[in-house]
Amino acid sequence: MTSSHDPQLLKGVLSLLLLRLLAERESYGYEVVQRLHETGFVDVLEGTVYPALARLEREGRLATRLVPSPSGPARKYYRLTPDGHRYLRTATDTWNRHVDGVNAVLRRPLPNDPEGTPT
Amino acid sequence: MTLFDRLRIERLVWTLDQQLYDLPHHSRVAKRREVRANLLEASRDVGTSAALKRLGGSRRLAAEYLDAELGRRRHSWIAAVYFLGGVPLLLNFFLSEAAGAYERAITAADPHATGTYTWRGVSYLQSAITYTFDQGHASHVGGAWSPLVYVLWIGGAVACGRLWRLLPRA
Repeated sequence: MTSSHDPQLLKGVLSLLLLRLLAERESYGYEVVQRLHETGFVDVLEGTVYPALARLEREGRLATRLVPSPSGPARKYYRLTPDGHRYLRTATDTWNRHVDGVNAVLRRPLPNDPEGTPT
Repeated sequence: MTLFDRLRIERLVWTLDQQLYDLPHHSRVAKRREVRANLLEASRDVGTSAALKRLGGSRRLAAEYLDAELGRRRHSWIAAVYFLGGVPLLLNFFLSEAAGAYERAITAADPHATGTYTWRGVSYLQSAITYTFDQGHASHVGGAWSPLVYVLWIGGAVACGRLWRLLPRA
């Protein structure tokens, strides 16, 4: 399980993670955070996730509905819109290309590495 | 959940709401409701202290929400309203002091002054003021803001609140 992430890197990829999780299953804010924690992003704060959900909603990539809760106030459930699905596909392709490109560079051996092994 | 825990949550929600005043009313209500519901559930799971800590503080959360809703085109109705309300208070205070000083100067020179005096007022900021003295007792009329003050007042409010960011982008 990953216990720590670069906050800047995480901020860049958080929208993609949220869209992917919500594409799998409609969820409310706190549940999304718990699902992120289950996948290893244990240091993601609620205070980061809720505004990110609000941003995606404003951009038209998420739709919401209020569902009564048996244990408290009604919950706001998020689900992907068609635009959200399109964006997720595009962003996933972009991310994969990005990772491939970065890995291709990082796997090159360093010329001054005494052991000659890739870092 | 204890009453104290519930109060701590409500305090966070209320503080957050105060910092979201630049958002539309319906958006603020929705955020209040959502944050409260999530906090109540988190509080049941991990305790109120941990739930509040994981939220990262109302100021930071509000800043993130404002960024999410308004993005780089951030404006502030609050700053504009403060300017609109504050400028008349301050300006009228200083103009009133200036008018009073002129009146006192007349009565200092002649405690039993009688007649009409006209002062052109603070340059560019107000119209002329006419004082009527009767045995040292004065009344005055005039001294209204000049058109320039109204222009600066409105322009200052727009600048202070960065309200040009509300204009639709081309």
